[in-house]
Amino acid sequence: MHLPLSEMYNEPDDRNVLDRMRQGVIGQPLDRPEGALKVSGQATYAAEWRIDGCVEGVLVLAEIAQGQVTAIDRDAALARDGVLAVIADPAMTRRSAQGMAAKAPQQDAAKVEYFGQPVALVVARTFEQARDAAVALRVDYADAAEPVPFDPHAPDVKVEAPSSSKPVEGGDLDQAMRDAAFSVDVEYDTPGHASAAMEPHATIAQWQGDSLILHGSYQMLAYNVKEIADCLGISPDKVRIIAPYVGGGFGSKLGITHEAVAAALAARELGRPVRVVMSRQQVFQTVMRRSETRQRVRLAADAGGRLIGLGHEALVSNLPGEKFAEPVTQATEFLYGGENRLLKVEVARISRLTAGSVRAPGEAVGMQVLEAAMDELAEKIGIDPIELRKRNLPATVPVQGTPYSSRMLTQALEQGAQAFGWSARQDRPCQTRDGDWWVGMGVASAARVNMMVPAQARVTLRADGSALVETDQTDIGTGSYAILGQIAGEMLGLPMARVDVKLGDSALPPGAGSGGSFGAISTGSAVLYACEEIRKRLAKILGCAAEELVLKDGTASHGDAAPRPLRDVLGGEDLTTTGKIKPGKTAKAFSQASYGAFFAEVGVHAFTGEVRVRRMTGVFGFGRVLNAKTARSQCLGGMVWGIGSALTEELAFDTRDGHLVNHDLAEYHVPVHADVPAIEVILLEERDAAASPLQAKGVGELGICGAAGAIANAVYNACGVRVRSFPLTLDKIVPSLPDPFAQTL
Amino acid sequence: MALRFVCDGELVALDSVAPGDTVLDFLRARPGRTGTKEGCGEGDCGACTVLVGTPVAGEERLVWRAVNACIQFLPMLHGKAVLTVNGLGDQLTPLQQTMACNGASQCGFCTPGFVMSLHGRAIGAVGADLPVGDVLAGNLCRCTGYGPLLEAGERHPALPHDDRATLDLLRQAATAGPACGHATLPGGSTARWFIPDNADALATLLAQYPGARIVAGATDVGLWVTKKLVDLDTVIFVGDVPELNALAESPDGLTIGGAVRYADAHAALSRLSPELGELVRRIGGLQVRNAGTIGGNIANGSPIGDGPPALIALGATLTLRSARGRRTMPLEDFFLAYGKQDRASDEFVECLFVPRPQGPDIVHMSKLSKRFDSDISAVCGAFWLRVEQGTITAARVAFGGMAATPRRAAQTEAALIGAPFDEATMAAAAAAIRADFAPLSDVRGSAAYRLEAAGNLVWRLWHQAQGQAVRVQEVVHG
Ligand SMILES: Cc1cc2nc3c(=O)[nH]c(=O)nc-3n(C[C@H](O)[C@H](O)[C@H](O)COP(=O)(O)OP(=O)(O)OC[C@H]3O[C@@H](n4cnc5c(N)ncnc54)[C@H](O)[C@@H]3O)c2cc1C
Ligand code: FES
Ligand code: FES
Repeated sequence: MHLPLSEMYNEPDDRNVLDRMRQGVIGQPLDRPEGALKVSGQATYAAEWRIDGCVEGVLVLAEIAQGQVTAIDRDAALARDGVLAVIADPAMTRRSAQGMAAKAPQQDAAKVEYFGQPVALVVARTFEQARDAAVALRVDYADAAEPVPFDPHAPDVKVEAPSSSKPVEGGDLDQAMRDAAFSVDVEYDTPGHASAAMEPHATIAQWQGDSLILHGSYQMLAYNVKEIADCLGISPDKVRIIAPYVGGGFGSKLGITHEAVAAALAARELGRPVRVVMSRQQVFQTVMRRSETRQRVRLAADAGGRLIGLGHEALVSNLPGEKFAEPVTQATEFLYGGENRLLKVEVARISRLTAGSVRAPGEAVGMQVLEAAMDELAEKIGIDPIELRKRNLPATVPVQGTPYSSRMLTQALEQGAQAFGWSARQDRPCQTRDGDWWVGMGVASAARVNMMVPAQARVTLRADGSALVETDQTDIGTGSYAILGQIAGEMLGLPMARVDVKLGDSALPPGAGSGGSFGAISTGSAVLYACEEIRKRLAKILGCAAEELVLKDGTASHGDAAPRPLRDVLGGEDLTTTGKIKPGKTAKAFSQASYGAFFAEVGVHAFTGEVRVRRMTGVFGFGRVLNAKTARSQCLGGMVWGIGSALTEELAFDTRDGHLVNHDLAEYHVPVHADVPAIEVILLEERDAAASPLQAKGVGELGICGAAGAIANAVYNACGVRVRSFPLTLDKIVPSLPDPFAQTL
Repeated sequence: MALRFVCDGELVALDSVAPGDTVLDFLRARPGRTGTKEGCGEGDCGACTVLVGTPVAGEERLVWRAVNACIQFLPMLHGKAVLTVNGLGDQLTPLQQTMACNGASQCGFCTPGFVMSLHGRAIGAVGADLPVGDVLAGNLCRCTGYGPLLEAGERHPALPHDDRATLDLLRQAATAGPACGHATLPGGSTARWFIPDNADALATLLAQYPGARIVAGATDVGLWVTKKLVDLDTVIFVGDVPELNALAESPDGLTIGGAVRYADAHAALSRLSPELGELVRRIGGLQVRNAGTIGGNIANGSPIGDGPPALIALGATLTLRSARGRRTMPLEDFFLAYGKQDRASDEFVECLFVPRPQGPDIVHMSKLSKRFDSDISAVCGAFWLRVEQGTITAARVAFGGMAATPRRAAQTEAALIGAPFDEATMAAAAAAIRADFAPLSDVRGSAAYRLEAAGNLVWRLWHQAQGQAVRVQEVVHG
């Protein structure tokens, strides 16, 4: 018998505890408990806390890309009405912290590494005064002696192997390519992306003695506390971050960034609270980007359409010395067969804002390209693209030999094909015309690694028979409030109205944080463990074995005994415990991932090349569905990111001076609803005990991972134009369009 | 005289208001009432959507419209009511209840903006007759994927609503007549604003302050303040000048006052030409069309505005007015060069006359943009052809996004006029566009793309004339 409550998750917990409970709330499409606050404008976001004596700071961004700040005209600024301070402290950040850094990011804002880097903070009594002085602030610079290029493809760019990942090599790929009956060797480009969470970053910093309280907008408080503390040279236990509501993150709020550090420094210098809210343009220019990528994919198949070789090499970029390199080939490692393989990422050192995690780092861009290349291979072989994928699912992970925990890919492809009506697809392009529109269908697999990270949560069964769940876990829109409450409700036999969930305060036990789709399963497992401990204590009070205990609707019973209200059982005492979980041996022993399939139908305008997605279906298997409504929302939202990635989203940098040209929502095009057609989301039943004691896997990012590939494949199927450069804008399509007057070709 | 308006059911009087103070900053400064969000500060996201109600002379009701508070200036609220998510009451409305439960709110930051757009639709605000999709085109959400938001809107088309209490407060405020105010800017200078209550007063003010900035809907000028951080010193708000809000339809055409908002002109423009109606539907989102005026769209002189090419193709004439008198000119003559228009500093756009297309006329307008809604055109092309007995007897073709100003395509027109309306002529016209324009390359499209696509619009016109589906909405789903 294993010890399921050990902190390290060393063995799959296949007791399926949740399925043995009686409350019946787990998995249900329940409403998020904080919904009413959000629709009535009562949820308080970072910038909105009312704090007496608070003054306003505005960041000043560098107007050169590389060099040194030589002088800042503080006096002129301080002479202006209302201006209280000009902060240009060496502790100010140059770069944002990467997710889970837990230490200070690169500091010393006086060294400018990219266009738009913050170099100073102006603080004044009112926001208008601060903004005015920030605009007027004179900053002198000396140009860098040895600038690095702006363009990742510049001839003199330095290309390095990243420290964060190693290449995967097996067999002889070149030979496999020569031996192949069918092969593709293609190069694709994907542009940089921005998270563009709707809430711009904001912090209010307030010192109480030598302790700092931050009201901020962050995803991973336990790590953020350490990052801030490290920046300021104080102990982490002197920092408290409060973030009960976060207006979206998508990676951009994983690590602390400029406004938080600057606000804390300013508040310390002035001895009063300081608020710093970034403008939308500042967020775009300074926080974080997803790297653009250039990817070469080589696929070698035998006469039977089985992969014998697979190459996936990517060039990504980042600032010099930055560890993060977009892990483009992450899912390629385990998705398809082909023992002869080379998977590799290299990173070009350039001058653009920090590259880091944007929703589904790696798979978001890696999968869309791999899946487009698979479509090219299917066409060469002359088989259905779904069949090609099904033929190439290996028994164990190639090269490593690791077994899969659970993989719903085949089911997703088959169910999706049914639901979508894939059989109506024409196997050659330019066969379907609807007015001036070529119409086509495409498919792609979805895959995203599953991760668990250390998490803790405290659960209290209160003497009145209600429960309280407490953790610093954030809810960035993902549904943490709902899901954590449901797990506790299921385990303790309570209706949702009897469970309170308190989140987003670093004074509470450290949850996983919201990132990498691991928040729900990691923190949820901690809640589960805490509840199991409480069940044991209840069983002890009742004098039965924990397995015999039945908790439902606020009552406890066992065997033939009549149910007793928990209030009575507890006898005036609270039961409190903190559940803890850490990744253990299961993490390495199994290849764990969430899977799915995307189907898209598009129209391509025969004359102008406009692409419109007409409908989409996504089918997903990610272990136990904890809340069918919030999970569906995650998938739906993710697929819309796929549409953006396929058709509209692209960071455009000026290669002459390195500035980000489209640093606002007018020019960085996140999809509007008219870009979004009817989308069907189907959730599969699955239990994956290797992934977590909840038998659940991550879902927050799965909906993007491959979606853009399905759209690109549909574009090809519609009009026969294979664009190997995302996004598929009309100008890239129009030159290769077939004769618009032909109704079919 | 102080600025007075009703905010969430309470009368507000403000003494020192600068013309560039935004409605959003005012709203968010209210303690505990920060429901209205700022997602971009430049009209792009709709997170700041609020409803503004204007009393209707002689009626016991307000005309409500959803606008982006981030690019509306406070003086524009004078004598009106503003309703925010914080003013919807302690009980959730049925719409809010649905949105709280159906997945329409995830991170919640966009939510108050969507609530207000849909609430506006439910209480019969301007545009309430439009499909939910049109009402929400100016609201961005990065989380939900939009489906549940549209569904919530569909489910709650109407909500009872009573304006009497608000009207009583407004009557107490006694805001009739002209208004003005001033404030000291952070830099120390004084900024002042005026709201004239008729066109003569406007002409007089402009003669007195020839450097004054005219502001109508502020959907352009608002961005100068929030994005370019321009200080406005003397501003004349013309949005509510009655003569500039006149709209007169006749068999000959349509006369539109310079300050008529796109949303208010939409129906009349659609009747004049369904093509023009569809183009106007894609100018910004409803919030932008509820504030943005046709006069502003022309007077800003932008080479990528959508109104001018369309109106030029239809043969519109523009009337400018000042204390010195009136001038009328073909619209195309107003645009002299990039950033330069034929307007003296004391003149204002009084009105526009757009001739009504007649039976044999073919009108085609296309806006090509990367994102379908809420995007600036890469190319905007407009065609008006008179075809009599198979021959094109007259033609006007105008483009935006192809040159430094909205411009007619002289050689294309020459290729069309007098030629038979057939494929050969279309081919000649499509080719002639290359001789007419030498566009720039920018983020919205390369020069080569613009030329190619502009030429192809001729074919789109041809196919449309043959009765084929050329627009994405016309293509059958499934
Ligand atoms: C999010 C967003 C999306 C947009 N999308 C589009 C789009 O798709 N297509 C498009 O064409 N435009 C678009 N615009 C631009 C803008 O909405 C239009 O140009 C609008 O018509 C401007 O009108 P306004 O009344 O708001 O102008 P204002 O901002 O009030 O004024 C604009 C200019 O015109 C002058 N002016 C205004 N009225 C007069 C008058 N009567 N006489 C003389 N001068 C005058 C002002 O002094 C100023 O120079 C968009 C704007 C935003 C914020
Ligand atoms: S804040 Fe984005 S439109 Fe106003
Ligand atoms: S719910 Fe997060 S942006 Fe809409």
